[in-house]
Amino acid sequence: MDDPRTAARAWLRIQTKLSRTAALPVVACGLVAVLAAILGAWCAAAALAQGLAGKGIAVMPLLGFAAAGLVQAGIGLVSEQASFSAGATARRRLRGDALDRLLAAGPAVLRASHSGALTATVIDRIEAVDPMFGRYLPAAVMAMAGPALVALAALQVDPVAALIMALAGLLVPVAMALSGIGAAKAARQQFAAMSRLQARFLDRIKGIATIVLAGRTESEAVALGLAADDLRRRTMRVLRMAFLSSAALDLAAAAALVLIALRYGAQLRDASLADPGMALFVLLLVPQFFAPLRAFAAAYQDRMHAIGAAEALTELPASPPPPPVLDVRHVAAQGITIAFEAVSLSWDPARGKALDDVSFRVNSGETLILAGPSGSGKSSIIEILLGFVAPDSGRVTFNGADFASLVPAAQSRLTAWIGQRPVLFAGTVRENIRFARPEASDAEVEDAARAARVESFTAVMPHGIDTVIGDGGYGLSGGQAQRIAIARAFLKDAPVLLLDEPTTHLDPTTEAEVFESLKRLTVGRTTVLASHATAAHAFSGRRIDLRLGRVASSRGAP
Amino acid sequence: MKALVRIARLWRRRAVWLAAGAAIAVAGLAAAVWMMTIAGALVAAGGVLAMGAGLRVLGPARVVLRYAERLVSHDAMFRAIADLRVWFFRGVAGSSAGGLGFRRAGDVVSRLVNDVEALDGVYLRVLIPLAGAVFLVPVLLWQIGQGSLVLAVVVVGLFGVGAFWLPWRAGLVTLAAGERLGAAMSGLRVSVHDALAGLREVRAFGAQGRVLADIQVREGILMAAQRDVAGRAARAGALAVLCAQAGVLAVLVGVGLDPALAASAFLAVAAFEAIGGLPRAGVAAGHAAAAAARVLEGASGEAAVVDPAVPAAAPRGNALRFEGVHFGWQADRPTVFNGLTLDVPSGNRIALLGPSGIGKSTLAALALKVAAPQAGRILLGGVDIATLDAATVRGRIGWLSQSTHLFADTIRANLLLARPEADEAALWEALRAARIADMVAGLPAGLDSFVGEAGSGFSGGQGRRLALARVLLSQAPILILDEPCAGLDAETERAFFTTLNESAAGRTVILIAHRLTGAERLDRIWRLSDGKAAAAAG
Repeated sequence: MDDPRTAARAWLRIQTKLSRTAALPVVACGLVAVLAAILGAWCAAAALAQGLAGKGIAVMPLLGFAAAGLVQAGIGLVSEQASFSAGATARRRLRGDALDRLLAAGPAVLRASHSGALTATVIDRIEAVDPMFGRYLPAAVMAMAGPALVALAALQVDPVAALIMALAGLLVPVAMALSGIGAAKAARQQFAAMSRLQARFLDRIKGIATIVLAGRTESEAVALGLAADDLRRRTMRVLRMAFLSSAALDLAAAAALVLIALRYGAQLRDASLADPGMALFVLLLVPQFFAPLRAFAAAYQDRMHAIGAAEALTELPASPPPPPVLDVRHVAAQGITIAFEAVSLSWDPARGKALDDVSFRVNSGETLILAGPSGSGKSSIIEILLGFVAPDSGRVTFNGADFASLVPAAQSRLTAWIGQRPVLFAGTVRENIRFARPEASDAEVEDAARAARVESFTAVMPHGIDTVIGDGGYGLSGGQAQRIAIARAFLKDAPVLLLDEPTTHLDPTTEAEVFESLKRLTVGRTTVLASHATAAHAFSGRRIDLRLGRVASSRGAP
Repeated sequence: MKALVRIARLWRRRAVWLAAGAAIAVAGLAAAVWMMTIAGALVAAGGVLAMGAGLRVLGPARVVLRYAERLVSHDAMFRAIADLRVWFFRGVAGSSAGGLGFRRAGDVVSRLVNDVEALDGVYLRVLIPLAGAVFLVPVLLWQIGQGSLVLAVVVVGLFGVGAFWLPWRAGLVTLAAGERLGAAMSGLRVSVHDALAGLREVRAFGAQGRVLADIQVREGILMAAQRDVAGRAARAGALAVLCAQAGVLAVLVGVGLDPALAASAFLAVAAFEAIGGLPRAGVAAGHAAAAAARVLEGASGEAAVVDPAVPAAAPRGNALRFEGVHFGWQADRPTVFNGLTLDVPSGNRIALLGPSGIGKSTLAALALKVAAPQAGRILLGGVDIATLDAATVRGRIGWLSQSTHLFADTIRANLLLARPEADEAALWEALRAARIADMVAGLPAGLDSFVGEAGSGFSGGQGRRLALARVLLSQAPILILDEPCAGLDAETERAFFTTLNESAAGRTVILIAHRLTGAERLDRIWRLSDGKAAAAAG
């Protein structure tokens, strides 16, 4: 198994390479800014020296100083724009990549991760990577180029002072490396704490009514407080290291300044200072020497965040391999025969097989009823047919072609599905139905709504089918939500129909009505219906009884 | 800005720490300024050894103070932020007995995460440097004023522009951009969360491309908003640079007129450096003010049913009675009840039948004070529940609703939600009663198995029975079970009702169902129709 940290570093190297060109303008701006700062220091020193000598106002140096100030302000503006663009480009690329991978991997990822944690990765971790590309990369270059330029300028007038600066400057990376040893681990833990807090909060918010009605608000608030405090402690652990490295930087800067000031003070005292203007110039250069280092130290955390994010991103499912072009067979959009050949599947090895050597065949246009107690494997069969998961062994074929050889888009084009808990999105009832086929006309959506008896409840709503419902179908009963899912299946009009307990939440009258429309829907389609015994009577067709993932009995034609 | 003040009031508990952070910051600044004054004097008057010694002490002192300031101020801030998150959760919970309603989970989380985080800049990047700026104004006036009053006024004027006026303006003009940024962030989070939580639907309907396009549109909106705010910050930063350069330029001109003023040159440089970040922080403050408004708005939903100021004493009995109840969820939707009257004597088992949408769940919501009837009364033990605390009423009633949530935690933690002090035996008894004990016992981790997101580790029927076990575990004397057997096969359903008769002995049971199996042992059967309850045969 790959070490996640190694993988993350390798990933970061690739991303850094991709973003290097975008960082170039920022570096160029930084170099111009340093040159302007040197010019400003020189002009200020000249003006000061002339004033101190009582020679009045030095017009040229003052104009030079003003010009340098204008350049610094202007170049700052340009630099920040370039830096924003570099970060934004990287974020867009990373987010697109992460979403591609998650969408391609499909619902199986939700078995391992909470959607809240995945959302946190896609949003917050990638936001946290931004400064790595917009700020850290240019700052890393400038941390070497900036001080070198300044030291070079100092070298022209006072080699000893330049040497003092250079030595103090060399202490900085040493101190940063020392304080950075534990920082990476701490940063990782901080990120994990952040994700945990978010996933926990999202989960609690979704179940907020359950918490409030159970009278557990207080204890949940306390638990949330503990999680938030844990995050604080981990964040402080990261920051302590960062602050320590910037304190080392402050110390080095102060030492350099004090040493150089004392040196000139001594020269002043014994009247050996040749040119006070040059001494002032060197003193003014000291802060400029440390400014790029300071920016780098501030950006150093960005790298930690990026490594933490890199680990989360490398843990996402791998990019889907391009489908084997030659093996993809054409499957007719009508008249599909489905066959399971010795299919086995286990979700979690510790919990045994969900499906164990299951074989059956559903002829074109036929209805197969899967019966059995909950947990017997009915839903697993449906999930395989939806392409949510691939069998561990055995083969599933559509008209003889291996189902696995179809690209996901082809798989989902062939099937319509009504699940146990349909996910409805915030929006109107019409939008929710249209989700099944976005290009459908209004009339087609309304036909589907009529067929699924959606109209019977939208008729009394204030805006009919255009009434807005909330997240997760707020404002609808379970049965009403189910009928929207049925309308989606009608609208999709696919040759294979997969029904997973479609009438669980319906009362007998509505159930009968829905079965009526479902029966109309099954005409000419290959249907697999997972249902417990009582409800399935309404359908005629072959029936398979499942027990603990095995076919217990099979009735009807072969 | 009002929102920021209200948030600041919530931080009173941490006032001492927050003030300490600011005090250390000012002390560190004083050391820096002092050092620069000495350095200036050194340059202007020729080196004196005693002053060199001063530098040697002040240099390290400044570094130590700066380190201490950062530790204390950040720690204080994060404590305040953690407090705010908990406060926010309580606020959301206060108005959510009936669920989130039309609020979206992704948006609520966005407020808790991004908007709360935007607030830490108010203290760290605005208040602390502002405290320093307030300290510097008299220092500058005094130190420079000794040499030249005119120069002092000019420098302090420029300083005031950089430290106070620019940040204030930047904050004001960023307010609207901050609102857009907050909304854009929430929009992106909602659409990413929709796509990921709805991965099954997305995959089944082949909607990957559509969903990705929608997310990219939202990301584009977010980036435009970010670019806007970043651009404002960059402009504020450039103005800060110009301000500082103008201040130093003024001092340099002053030195040209009077060499003695050179001593103040270093002081001016240090002062402007200390406030260099403020105009940019003003932009952050504008964003924070918008974020504060979003945080307050998110936490301040009204509870649908407000507790009475002086609640009546909890009743002794547990008889439940609906008396002439009229109710509709919204004025523009049909009413649910018109004069519903229903008696449920203590310890009785009744069934409520009726087609979906007739108001069976509404009845439970009214009994639990999730909503209040527009007319009529609901009595618990003979006392109108309008006069009782919601907590008192909810402590008496255990509700298995259609939307009962399973938390992404262990089975044990999910069950303990109903009765935190329950022992192992009680947990297993509840699981047995819900006909799910065998399945749990068969899991390698048993009670400590994770149920997954919203129970996704189990089938729909299994998850439903775990939720049922949780309700049975509670010691509420009244149980309202909304379709407890949805998704169960007939055999298990009958077995459940047989055990229910034992496991709920002595408790009131209100069974909400579409139909009866015959295995329920019931005292009465009511049928809901036309907004009223009518006794059915039974």
